[in-house]
Amino acid sequence: MSLLRGLLGMELIGISVRPFLDFQERLTLLDSALILDVPLGVISRIEKMGGATSRGENSYGLDITCKDMRNLRFALKQEGHSRRDMFEILTRHAFPLAHSLPIFAFLNEEKFNVDGWMVYNPVEEYRRQGLPNHHWRITFINKCYELCDTYPSLLVVPYRASDEDLRRVATFRSRNRIPVLSWIHPENKTVIVRCSQPLVGMSGKRNKDDEKYLDVIRETNRQISKLTIYDARPNVNAVANKATGGGYESDDAYHNAELFFLDIHNIHVMRESLKKVKDIVYPNVEESHWLSSLESTHWLEHIKLVLTGAIQVADKVSSGKSSVLVHCSDGWDRTAQLTSLAMLMLDSFYRSIEGFEILVQKEWISFGHKFASRIGHGDKNHADADRSPIFLQFIDCVWQMSKQFPTAFEFNEQFLITILDHLYSCRFGTFLYNCESARERQKVTERTVSLWSLINSNKDKFKNPFYTKEINRVLYPVASMRHLELWVNYYIRWNPRIKQQQPNPVEQRYLELLALRDEYIKRLEELQLANSAKLSDPSTSPSSPSQMMPHVQTHF
Amino acid sequence: MEFAELIRTPRVDNVVLHRPFYPAVEGTLCLTGHHLILSSRQDNTEELWLLHSNIDAIDKRFVGPLGTIIIKCKDFRIIQLDIPGMEECLNIASSIEALSTLDSITLMYPFFYRPMFEVIEDGWHSFLPEQEFELYSSATSEWRLSYVNKEFAVCPSYPPIVIVPKSIDDEALRKVATFRHGGRFPVLSYYHKKNGMVIMRSGQPLTGTNGRRCKEDEKLINATLRAGKRGYIIDTRSLTVAQQARAKGGGFEQEAHYPQWRRIHKSIERYHILQESLIKLVEACNDQTHNMDRWLSKLEASNWLTHIKEILTTACLAAQCIDREGASILIHGTEGTDSTLQVTSLAQIILEPRSRTIRGFEALIEREWLQAGHPFQQRCAQSAYCNSKQKWESPVFLLFLDCVWQILRQFPCSFEFNENFLIMLFEHAYASQFGTFLGNNESERCKLKLQQKTMSLWSWVNRPSELRKFTSPLFEANNLVIWPSVAPQSLHLWEGIFLRWNRSSKYLDEAYEEMVNIIEYNKELQAKVNILRRQLAELETEDGMQESP
Repeated sequence: MSLLRGLLGMELIGISVRPFLDFQERLTLLDSALILDVPLGVISRIEKMGGATSRGENSYGLDITCKDMRNLRFALKQEGHSRRDMFEILTRHAFPLAHSLPIFAFLNEEKFNVDGWMVYNPVEEYRRQGLPNHHWRITFINKCYELCDTYPSLLVVPYRASDEDLRRVATFRSRNRIPVLSWIHPENKTVIVRCSQPLVGMSGKRNKDDEKYLDVIRETNRQISKLTIYDARPNVNAVANKATGGGYESDDAYHNAELFFLDIHNIHVMRESLKKVKDIVYPNVEESHWLSSLESTHWLEHIKLVLTGAIQVADKVSSGKSSVLVHCSDGWDRTAQLTSLAMLMLDSFYRSIEGFEILVQKEWISFGHKFASRIGHGDKNHADADRSPIFLQFIDCVWQMSKQFPTAFEFNEQFLITILDHLYSCRFGTFLYNCESARERQKVTERTVSLWSLINSNKDKFKNPFYTKEINRVLYPVASMRHLELWVNYYIRWNPRIKQQQPNPVEQRYLELLALRDEYIKRLEELQLANSAKLSDPSTSPSSPSQMMPHVQTHF
Repeated sequence: MEFAELIRTPRVDNVVLHRPFYPAVEGTLCLTGHHLILSSRQDNTEELWLLHSNIDAIDKRFVGPLGTIIIKCKDFRIIQLDIPGMEECLNIASSIEALSTLDSITLMYPFFYRPMFEVIEDGWHSFLPEQEFELYSSATSEWRLSYVNKEFAVCPSYPPIVIVPKSIDDEALRKVATFRHGGRFPVLSYYHKKNGMVIMRSGQPLTGTNGRRCKEDEKLINATLRAGKRGYIIDTRSLTVAQQARAKGGGFEQEAHYPQWRRIHKSIERYHILQESLIKLVEACNDQTHNMDRWLSKLEASNWLTHIKEILTTACLAAQCIDREGASILIHGTEGTDSTLQVTSLAQIILEPRSRTIRGFEALIEREWLQAGHPFQQRCAQSAYCNSKQKWESPVFLLFLDCVWQILRQFPCSFEFNENFLIMLFEHAYASQFGTFLGNNESERCKLKLQQKTMSLWSWVNRPSELRKFTSPLFEANNLVIWPSVAPQSLHLWEGIFLRWNRSSKYLDEAYEEMVNIIEYNKELQAKVNILRRQLAELETEDGMQESP
């Protein structure tokens, strides 16, 4: 397939510009004063604005809505019908699915010296966690995605549960997403287990196998009398789910479990909330009642609830009092947020660059967060009710944590923003498709490049200079509204008034200081070598000063 | 008067102290003339050493024989003392009340404080007006020092020495003083070396309802304009407020009489409105109820950030007139002792790199706040918790510090001082062992003989051991004008002040410490490099000497 490199010769009213689609499938607009660079994957909606008879400045042209918190408007001259070509070419390439075209990641021939697809190897990751052990085993029951088509092929389950047990439990869990291990505490051996809701339904169905299975999970740690179940949903939503066959674990059926609701709202609420955030920040920041407008979006409140939930999960596990089972409805949105954030709080490994990549690969990508549906890669149905900024919300939570613990994370803000940019860009295969089985069918790892290839071959750019590696520190962020902030550098980055904040001057200055240190150390070593050469030189008089500088220790 | 008369119970045992971030401790509570001390008698360390003057308000309550005193401090901290025995508790409470509201300034702690450190440089002489003037005199000869206010007769709130246009004599100044509120005739506040433009400040003109004018006043401020140039008068009141002021004898400069000046009205709030804003803000910050849904609304309703924005916007406008428009400005509100000083001093932070250094900032505080007659005694008498509403309290200086913090946050590498420096100034403005912030103006300070009887804050701060705590490791001298953003998303709540007692900053300090460490380490390395280089040079010269004979 030939890559499009057509200059679309287009005249913006007033100034002449040349927007073109280049080989990176980006919409690039060049002008002496402005360089606009938009990956086509970011486009959510293209609309024609005005008609042949429209009058007035900027009333005729194209309106482009983007997934990354901005809108673009191209004002055109009516003569020559140049708009039609532009509209068609943009639509074809921004929404390839509707035109039976491949997504750009399959055409991208970029080469990197690191292969990001090698970052995550589930066996290795479980081995790092000390698995399998006496109580937990690795099973290949889902090798061909027969048990659960949205789960990864490799699962960790209680040693005492047979494959037959797993199959029976699967019948009682929404979309067969059975409880499996996400993380085990290295010392107290309590675990975080994830799944979907039980299929209780209106009649309050029970399933002995499921009940027994949960008890087996509880018993993997002998000291524990109760298993804690965190249902991410608000209580009422969980009840309402019974009408569609779902529900939650009742006290009667699960004697040895305690259930808590975490009050996190569903994907539709989150989508509307983010929409409101966009309304108050783009194109202009709501000036007069900024804080109450921000409050009325409820975005920070949702962030607070997600973080609070994750803190509860982390605290339970870290205290060793109980193992934790987390689910929402299907177990691929709120559940992924909770397990991954709790793991980030508990396990310092995930706070390194590669560790975080593994966390995302594991809890989000392999466990079937429906990236394709939530983001709508290459899909023109901008109003699709399945779209929702769940992953963005997770990254926002991570950012909030990194603000509160500036030395705890190996990566910087740019790392998080880059991940979000490529969540939409379609340049890499990393976030394509809804689950592992679909990715395998499409041979994504063979036919596309991984985002981690880009990041890991250029790690310095994404490193937090303040990072001090600490093992075993559990991070509990303060999830109070007073201490949560709107992520201005992400949500308001298209506002020219915010530009001055980037790059972070403190980070820059610190990097300079680090460079200076290395420079000194290098010079010191050179001088020491030169000195010792002089001293060992027989022509040097024996009376010369012989005290050598002790070798500098780099305690950083 | 003896302090002993006020202290009904000097000490109580088995008192339990509760305060943020620390476990409760039991110990002995002692009251002295100026301090409330709680000691657990372990390792002989005092757990609490609180100046009475730092106490803003106290509440007491009783559960059976156990009394509880809740002490609310001017630095917004709240601590709780559980005192066994109702009588003791009542005695302690009334003693604290009496001691924290002493009428006479000369009974305040600074008059009793004996420093335990060696004074290297007497802060009372660190920033003399003559020295400050020398910084300008190299650049311009259009200004002179005037001693017209030597006895504080012309203007009671001005210092004895002021800078005025050279062409205006002292006689004219006396006349102008009668035409300006509080005798505050226009004086030089800042000289912009880059283009020779100036900031002047004054009190409002006393035009009254019949539009009085004063030729000398017009002559004075016109004397600061270059030929053919226009200047700006920034009135920190809205036009309506300025018009209303005429009824009380005040007013503003009429275009007809000041044709070379363009007047701009900005609205910066005053007195009780700011005080109420502070009270609301601190209330919201201390709200311990778990339902925090309304936090942002409460923060907004306090209007604190709106005030910050108004003040910063006006300061930016002043700086723009000077640097971008190349025009001189005169700034005043009503008295010229509050919003005027906020604007003149912040404009200097924006324009003048020196005022972003520690010394320069201290000089700025000395010049634009202390000598310029900001009534610290009145404004800082009470803080956010006090119920007795006297009309003079107002967090004008705290708002100024907050604005500086906002700029510092946006330009973290352009300031030699860190946030702790600003917090320290806030604390000492409200309660201190030093005399610097006592009194309302130079005249009062002179009468109190502060220089002889008390220690200057600068004597303590400018010692190397203290300076180290206040120096920013990030500082890189930046000779540019820095333009802060006043967009709503750029202005933040100053957590270091307002949430200081709500949340530990332990983790945030870590990155800061990393920074300090690496700078120290780099210094060490540099020293080692230098030693080695010298050794090498010595070895080489010895070689040379051996070879030459």
